[in-house]
Amino acid sequence: MVRVTVDPLTRVVGPLRLDTEVDENGIIKEARSSNMIFRGFERIYRGQDPRDSILLSQRICGVCPVAHSISAVNALDELFGVAQSVPKDALVARNINQGLNTISNHLLHFYILWGPDLANPAYGDVLFTFGDLGGSVWKELLGRFAPISYKIGGEVIPPGSSYVGVIPMKKRLHDAGAVIGGKMPHQTVMYPGGVTNNPTTSDIQTLSSIMSEVIDFLNTNAIRMPFEDWVENTYKASSPKKAVDFLIEHLNDLIENSLQTNDLSRSNGCGDIELYSAFGSELIGERSLGLPISFKHDKMGGYSDLSKVSFLSYGGFYNVDQEGYDPTSPSGDRFQTSGFMTSSLEFHKFDSNKVTESVKHAFYDDYDGYKHPYEGTTEPFTDPDRINYQNFSEEKYTWAKAPRYDGIPCEVGPLSRLLIMKEPLVTGLVQMFRENGYSPFNCFTRMIARMQELFIITNEMIKWITTDLDPNGKFRVDIDMSTSSDSRGMGLCEAPRGALGHWLITDSDSKVANYQIVTPSTWNLSPRDSEGVPGPLEQALVGCRISAVDNWLGVDFSNPTGILHVGRSYDPCITCAVHTIDLTGKNSPGTFRLL
Amino acid sequence: MSEGNTNSDSSVNDLDFLRMDWHKFLKARRSGGGFKLLENYKNDTPGDYDFPVTHVLWIQGAQCTGCSESLLDAANPELLKAFEILNIDLERHEAFLAHQGLFVDGEPANTSELNSEILLDEISERGNYILMVEGAIANGPEGSGKYFMSGNRSSKEMFKKAARNADLIIAVGTCAAYGGINSANSDIVDILDYRGVAFTKKDPSKGILKVLGIDKPVINIPGCPPHPDWIIFTLSAIISGNIRIPDDLPEVLDEFGRPKVFFPPDYNVHKDCPRKEFFKNKEFDTCVGGEKCLLKIGCQACLAHADCTLRKWNDGHSYCVQAGSPCIACVEPDFPDNARPLYSSKKCKTGKEADR
Repeated sequence: MVRVTVDPLTRVVGPLRLDTEVDENGIIKEARSSNMIFRGFERIYRGQDPRDSILLSQRICGVCPVAHSISAVNALDELFGVAQSVPKDALVARNINQGLNTISNHLLHFYILWGPDLANPAYGDVLFTFGDLGGSVWKELLGRFAPISYKIGGEVIPPGSSYVGVIPMKKRLHDAGAVIGGKMPHQTVMYPGGVTNNPTTSDIQTLSSIMSEVIDFLNTNAIRMPFEDWVENTYKASSPKKAVDFLIEHLNDLIENSLQTNDLSRSNGCGDIELYSAFGSELIGERSLGLPISFKHDKMGGYSDLSKVSFLSYGGFYNVDQEGYDPTSPSGDRFQTSGFMTSSLEFHKFDSNKVTESVKHAFYDDYDGYKHPYEGTTEPFTDPDRINYQNFSEEKYTWAKAPRYDGIPCEVGPLSRLLIMKEPLVTGLVQMFRENGYSPFNCFTRMIARMQELFIITNEMIKWITTDLDPNGKFRVDIDMSTSSDSRGMGLCEAPRGALGHWLITDSDSKVANYQIVTPSTWNLSPRDSEGVPGPLEQALVGCRISAVDNWLGVDFSNPTGILHVGRSYDPCITCAVHTIDLTGKNSPGTFRLL
Repeated sequence: MSEGNTNSDSSVNDLDFLRMDWHKFLKARRSGGGFKLLENYKNDTPGDYDFPVTHVLWIQGAQCTGCSESLLDAANPELLKAFEILNIDLERHEAFLAHQGLFVDGEPANTSELNSEILLDEISERGNYILMVEGAIANGPEGSGKYFMSGNRSSKEMFKKAARNADLIIAVGTCAAYGGINSANSDIVDILDYRGVAFTKKDPSKGILKVLGIDKPVINIPGCPPHPDWIIFTLSAIISGNIRIPDDLPEVLDEFGRPKVFFPPDYNVHKDCPRKEFFKNKEFDTCVGGEKCLLKIGCQACLAHADCTLRKWNDGHSYCVQAGSPCIACVEPDFPDNARPLYSSKKCKTGKEADR
């Protein structure tokens, strides 16, 4: 066994350590995910005005701050008893804020956090063995996805066109975020009962024009076909099979054309997502399109025991056909419905009471089994000698707790959301992989789901901005501060990375008695639970071949692209996934005990 | 280096601005001049922008990547264009580059082309770089720094390594400058013991540099996050040679290590507030969504030494107060404690009256 450790896994938010044991064939046998930071975040709320969490909890994550402010404000809407009366236009404004942030996040992830791994020299080595076609593919990967300050073998590689091109687009999305949200990152407008600002007609024009730029960007860079055609034939396809057939037929035409000249350039029709869809998957690229080579990302990052993982979504975006919303059980009529889905694609209604956490393998004092976020306790180690993670024999190895739904580890994020909302393309891809003997929830489907979500949210945003947002509408209802004593609130939303929940309890003086946050990365990067069942990412690493293209050129322990791809496919955010609060009773302030 | 443009009241030479009188700078701001600063320089003094390469080593402590995100929002010019003009070589950055920590059987593996930890060692051995720090540095628990580990070392060790041979340290954002949200008051703040680079909150004796016994020139660019202009224009003033390090720092920085031109000691976010007439007439909003002065719902603009009102955020599109939200003075050394409770008048903190 060889110990291969990636520490830190960069191009994520915060310090993440992925520690693996790899056999001589280059296959990962055991894996541990360690969250290496303890920030003490939720404790700063205690004894304070609960509304502070709207602005302060955004400081947990500068990449997805809007989701934290929406979760916080959802908890406050319930606390102040106004969730059912938040005006429609305020819900639209909140949706637009979140939509802009999710689009920006997904672009950042694909092009800056994930993309550079496709320009890893290991791909060059493999592709060079495939003649002219291999050379053309490598030229495209390097020419599009190379990051700044990149060198291979001492040679300076200029930054790729896609990497460079996304930065101005991201800036524009933050400009739009400022127009509707005050500033970005860390916007300022969420408030219980609605939002603090009244968007104007001119704001709506600016937002529309920036959304046109997003569509132009997607058409120019991501997919070389009209945005509407893509949405019509995939997201709005009449069945999952039709959506997948459309994708494969489209890729087939594209590849046939490109292979004649070995020209896979964007100007020859190969957008970034088309290039990745064709070459990313063995099943699509080699078996359907007849390509001699693919990256085989569909053979990594899947789950070997499908009974030990499921999929969860709290429900994304408000339903804006009505006033108010149900804060405790997000209803099924949201744009992205809430739900729990087993790995055999059985759908169940979401029940927030089934969320629990274990601390057995985290650097906190143990409690028995599992606790609901309203009831859990967290007592962090304060003796530095007890904070060790170097050996696999250590029982505790991370600052992340292990959240479970009905006792099962859950993947959260775009793949889960799109499966649960029965999005045709992603559902179809998952079915196709399963029917062909692949693990259906793999790196490839995870990435395609994120990209497809980019399209469907962009599509929905246009409706919210041009049809639903009324500058003469009502953007808030007043709150009565006297209603917030001895009360509680639960704020659930879907952050770009997945299910995010804030749980809040106040005392008789209307101050925070307890505040608990369970973030998407806590779900995905969870350690083992009380039964020893590993978290989703840990499970997904086991069985993965560590070197490029299924160890095509043999095993290179010093360049474990498999770990990099699988880790980054979840879009991890470590600074989010930290727990600090202790909750010793439903309505009493917690007691913090020093060890 | 060239002196570049001559300053006038309506146009600002960015490469000189850090030394210029901030009254003059703000006056130029008010009249709408000098927004495309770097581009002016390039057009007006051809040939003079061939700066020698400036190496930048970036490290992240306890942070949220919001400062890096904000840097990506740079507008005048856009980020990569600014790097090109200033000839900045961003050698290491945890979020944007190819590198990560790679270990085989516990030993560093591969080369500095892919391994961020070997790269860190190489750059810090070599010297000749500006260190940019994003996030607070963990000193807890018990001085071990183990509340933040990365690449088999604590952020304290990582910082020590990176700081030792740096020519200059720029603390980017309130966390790196003063501890920020990581040092917010709570019952465990002393156990956590997060530190800013040269200060913790307002205390220069508690910076992590003091703990480590390292003496380096430091520029603080606070803000949660900082405005990208503040970061890029500061770099441009240094790279152009208009600010000599460390000789000129006492002249251009305030008592908390901030460039006075962006964080003027006797100017604040309130001074040019579009709602100021309401303040003068003592007309205050008591709940969000109105158009009057936000003082009674927590606005801290009069204590926030920054130019947000004139500069605005995200390419001039908006800023907190414009969006109906109180200023929370995120550029101040004691943020966020200075501004809490965020939505209540600070003059009458007791009771619920303030909230009504």
